[in-house]
Amino acid sequence: MKVYDGSQSEETQNAKSKRLKVGIAEYDVTTEPTAMLTTSGLGSCIGIALYDEPTGAAGLVHIMLPTAEDVEGGNRAKFADTGVAELVDALEALGATRDTMRAKIAGGSDMLNFSENGSSIGTRNIEQVRATLDEYGIPITGEDVGGDHGRSLQLAVDSGDLVVKSANTESVVL
Amino acid sequence: MNVDIQSLGTFNQLAHEGAQQATQSLAQMTGIDAAVDVTKITLLDRTDVGEALEGREFVGVQFEYEGVLEGDTVLVFEDESAETIADSMMPGASENPEMAQSAVKEIGNIMMSGFIDGWADYLDSTIDHSPPTYIEKSGSEVLPDAPDAGDHRQVFVFKSEIEWVGKSVNFYIYMLPEYEPLADAMVESADTDDDAIPIDKLQTFNEMTTSGTQQAADNVEMMTGIPTAAEVTQISFAPIEDVPKQIGTDTYVGTVVEFTGRPSGYLMVLFDEVSAVNVAEAMMPIGMDEDELTDQHKAAIEELGNIMTSGFVDGWANVLQTSVDHTPPRLVHDMGRSIVDPLAAQVGQQQEHAFIIDSTMRTDDIEFAAEIHALPNEQELRAALDDLDVERADQTEASVEQIFE
Repeated sequence: MKVYDGSQSEETQNAKSKRLKVGIAEYDVTTEPTAMLTTSGLGSCIGIALYDEPTGAAGLVHIMLPTAEDVEGGNRAKFADTGVAELVDALEALGATRDTMRAKIAGGSDMLNFSENGSSIGTRNIEQVRATLDEYGIPITGEDVGGDHGRSLQLAVDSGDLVVKSANTESVVL
Repeated sequence: MNVDIQSLGTFNQLAHEGAQQATQSLAQMTGIDAAVDVTKITLLDRTDVGEALEGREFVGVQFEYEGVLEGDTVLVFEDESAETIADSMMPGASENPEMAQSAVKEIGNIMMSGFIDGWADYLDSTIDHSPPTYIEKSGSEVLPDAPDAGDHRQVFVFKSEIEWVGKSVNFYIYMLPEYEPLADAMVESADTDDDAIPIDKLQTFNEMTTSGTQQAADNVEMMTGIPTAAEVTQISFAPIEDVPKQIGTDTYVGTVVEFTGRPSGYLMVLFDEVSAVNVAEAMMPIGMDEDELTDQHKAAIEELGNIMTSGFVDGWANVLQTSVDHTPPRLVHDMGRSIVDPLAAQVGQQQEHAFIIDSTMRTDDIEFAAEIHALPNEQELRAALDDLDVERADQTEASVEQIFE
């Protein structure tokens, strides 16, 4: 019995591009040019990809809620404000600088917003991500946000390209 | 016997860290890149343990442990991945069954020793475990018999799912502790009883969810003429960020409602795309014979979702003797996880952990499976359970039996 019958090409591809999975309320950074940072199932959550061309460092965080202000302790990567801060710190530890970091963001959909007054979590997440990136002086060079559908992301570390996939529409490359 | 939210959270964290430690040992020894996907504590009927494993072949190791906690624990791999693991430890091992077995035993022993020691350290006590026993079985048979529940109808199971990055195979760690020592340990580690939940009432709640699911299944049967049965009903506890991972990454079709009252929260009725088309066809007077999901199919799903939701929620409201209202259903057709994500985020504004109630139903006649997932506000659920009087709970049991007569 062979283990990966007929999927030789897939294995070869995996060997070439190492997939680093980023879960909900998690982040990861790398300088490995063949790596691919991925995250899936973004609804109102947002994936923030930061890329620093001079060092080739890239990172991705999957945030769930706008701000850690109202919550004591807990996981910093869960929130837009502290999640971006963690990601910037981690990239700086790899030698990247804020001046040269560029951001691409996707997610923050309005799907299943039952709140009748006030803006949805998706909208508030987008606002907070923009505000925090602005504080750090990191420009947003590509975005696919809002709408009413889910998204999955793949960040190619060598190019900084962010592929946004949806269930019912064509993929977009940011 | 009461168990508080904090100790449920702590025990969940403990199981998660143990699974992570086990996964790191695997990575160090084999170079296999794996990550712990989900860890949850589930309370369910002892006969339903391991339903998620059906239809696949597994190999792995089993341990007995005793001390402050008692019971069995297993680490299982899908059999294909076991060969790769064996080869990565001893090249060519998979060609020789004996060598493959000893490789699996060795890696299993190392992974699980860390897992069990972590529990003992936390509980500041000793847990002895037996040498590993090699197991090779299919589906839920790979799991040891769930502990005898005694007076308790249901058992707690700790389950971690470990994903092999970039591959479609998974590993599972199941820990099935004896009820009493676990409950004692949980009570020991509780700081306060402000947020305590009586375990017995949690069980009753599970049973009433079963009766709600049966009602929803009856409604499916009424609409489609297809005999449909409620299958597993379970209540799990997990950190809020793990909630969306309870649902697959595949595309689902279904409905979502917000329910209000006590408790409030969200309820999803989800079908995989094939089931959605099949069940929608069954509801239509003239078959469309379409494989693709059309707008007519979606309209049928929306109607069915509404009726299933009502049946399910009525089951709760009857027992809790509260009124639970729900919004009109919103039709969803998207990646499973992205459907749950905004709901988890809503609930996550008030709480760090969540109870997730999962039910499934199936029919033998056509390829059809439906899942119901409820995400109640934790504090409100606790309050509702607090008020649940035992006499009324007895009536639920009677009504469950009536339904199955």
